[in-house]
Amino acid sequence: MSAGSRRAGMSWPALIGVTIGAIIMAAPLVWTLLLSFKDSAELMRDSGAAFSGPYTLENYQAILAGSSVFRWLLNSIIVSIGTTLGVLALCSLAGYGFARLDFPFRRSLFVFVLLGLAIPEQAVILPQHQLFAELGLHNSYPGLILPGLAGSFGVFFMTQYFKAIPPELDEAAMLDGASRLKTFWTVLLPLTLPAQATLGVFTFLASWNSYWWPLISATRSDMYTLTVGLAASQMNYAQTSGLGFLMAQAVFASIPILIVYVIFQKQIVRAMAGTAVR
Amino acid sequence: MKRLAALLALLAFGCSPAGGKDEIYVQRFFGECDAQYGQVVDLARAEGECGIVTALFNRFEAEHQDVAIDVNVVAWPGYAQLAAQMAAKDPPDLVTMHQGVISDYVARGLLEPMDDILREAQIDPADFTTASRRGVTKEGRIYGLPWDTIGGLFHINTRLFAQAGLMRGGKPILPRSPAELLAHARQFKRATGKPYLVQSQVNDPATHVRNFYTYMLAQGAAIFPDANHVELQTPEARRVVELFRTIEREGLTTRNQDNPAAIASFLNGDGGIFPTGTWMIGSFEQEAATPGRPLYGGYAVFPYPRLWGEPTPFVDGHSWVMPKRDRSPAQRRALVRLIRFMADHNYDWSRTGHLPAFRQIVESEQFRSLPHRRDIAPLAETGALLPGYVRRQGAIEGLIGEELQAAISGQKPIDGALADAERRVNELLAQTT
Repeated sequence: MSAGSRRAGMSWPALIGVTIGAIIMAAPLVWTLLLSFKDSAELMRDSGAAFSGPYTLENYQAILAGSSVFRWLLNSIIVSIGTTLGVLALCSLAGYGFARLDFPFRRSLFVFVLLGLAIPEQAVILPQHQLFAELGLHNSYPGLILPGLAGSFGVFFMTQYFKAIPPELDEAAMLDGASRLKTFWTVLLPLTLPAQATLGVFTFLASWNSYWWPLISATRSDMYTLTVGLAASQMNYAQTSGLGFLMAQAVFASIPILIVYVIFQKQIVRAMAGTAVR
Repeated sequence: MKRLAALLALLAFGCSPAGGKDEIYVQRFFGECDAQYGQVVDLARAEGECGIVTALFNRFEAEHQDVAIDVNVVAWPGYAQLAAQMAAKDPPDLVTMHQGVISDYVARGLLEPMDDILREAQIDPADFTTASRRGVTKEGRIYGLPWDTIGGLFHINTRLFAQAGLMRGGKPILPRSPAELLAHARQFKRATGKPYLVQSQVNDPATHVRNFYTYMLAQGAAIFPDANHVELQTPEARRVVELFRTIEREGLTTRNQDNPAAIASFLNGDGGIFPTGTWMIGSFEQEAATPGRPLYGGYAVFPYPRLWGEPTPFVDGHSWVMPKRDRSPAQRRALVRLIRFMADHNYDWSRTGHLPAFRQIVESEQFRSLPHRRDIAPLAETGALLPGYVRRQGAIEGLIGEELQAAISGQKPIDGALADAERRVNELLAQTT
């Protein structure tokens, strides 16, 4: 069914409801965008001034002229891509192991991994910080990437996906003489690409937006990620006297994510709809 | 072989972060504005907290070619990062810290006393203003170079005050008792149709607490009788909260505004007095100098008026502190020079609106000739901080502010809110000690 015919099949009340929902969702984003093009002094007098001109690019010029912003952007890209690749590699292997291999304490270990879903990041932040301090990994890319690799969700997600693939495929490959590693690499892994894409997008988004761990691990400004760097560049009273600049920072930080969303829109929508594992 | 040796020597020298200079690692908040001020060394050309502090470090490096400063700008207020750096045993050499926060770090032995280094820098703590000296003195020792005094002020729309008949000799008439404040507020509302106070009350515990501490201290109340307890179920506390509850109930204040909304209200002439901090003087003065704006030619600012007992406005301040860490003698010498330089340029910092930390500057004509500074100068001497033994002041401010907001808005009875505030703070202090 095409998108057009689906839309044609939607009832008027549903269409109105969806439109209202979309407006409610989009309004803060549009407001943020408009604020980012306004002079901060004018907004201090009246934030409603965002809905009328004149508009200016000064806030964006100030961001781009900042001496460190491209360094922070590079750091974010390296950390997000590094984390995403690491998570995909580890979770695929772990998922395959839990789904296909029989080893002692497999079920107990899987339950143990799932327990990780219930533990918030803040609960382990102190020992994690101490560990990385002992290893001398703060203010380094490994220090920013490694904690993000321990993802229970990814292991669970990939395990379920591997379980959904018929085991007859493995058996056929092995009958043809393929080793377990070759079966994994050439037969099963290509079949998990939709799941990999979904997990990759989620991991990238989470890593890009991560703030708490980079804040306390990357304490040197040349190792800041974009989220931490932009926060550090705010003046103390940014929400009052620098609102336009603050909003421009928010828009600027979201541009790479927007690009990722546009490229991987199909996978994200699938994942949200819960169809990626089928 | 010679080429290889030369290359190695070049690499060794070139890769040295400070290029052979003594390097100091400084960490600060106040934002990053290198784009605008990264090359500015003329302090008169710098404006605002970020601009002035950036230009100061530029100037220091220009005047001290043998010292390199690695300045790390942290997200406000930077204490999460500092705690992490201390845990990782890699704190900065010098770092900005609110004076109200110093106790937390001193209690855990994380800061170096600075008596000796100040002596080496030929800075006499007797030259500090009373408020500044109190702010950096903990357990009888000095733990920071005070940098300013920040506190609440009454920012006043004198045009509306004139309309309400509350001006005399070109100056606003401020109340001298709670009853007089209410009488002025009613008179103001009758004459102008606008509220006497513009207040930031939503998501702003600091505002409530600033008012509360100021008038508790004025009555001589021992808010924190010791390090482990707060006393809020007292007649003094009740009097203060009842005053602000009455103001709220009679509509003598703006309602349901957060800080940006309150600032906009004041700038647009929607009320008479905006009790907020020293940091807003620059913005309001700019509006007062802009023809056509409601504040044009009609802005004045004074310390909180004395309503009870003694004038003891609650204040805080920024300071430069030295976390404990190993330093070479050369680094220490460089730090001494930097601290001396910062003290020598305390006037430049006071252009932000904050009060200087040195008595000589407060009394100087140079400072007093800045807009409104003559009127607010007393704050540097009368300003009071909480006792040095009180820890977790930021968290306590959040708890008390929440309960005060509930009491003043009428969501909770005053006695109940004060009891809850006392219980919650005491629970927090019990966990802390």
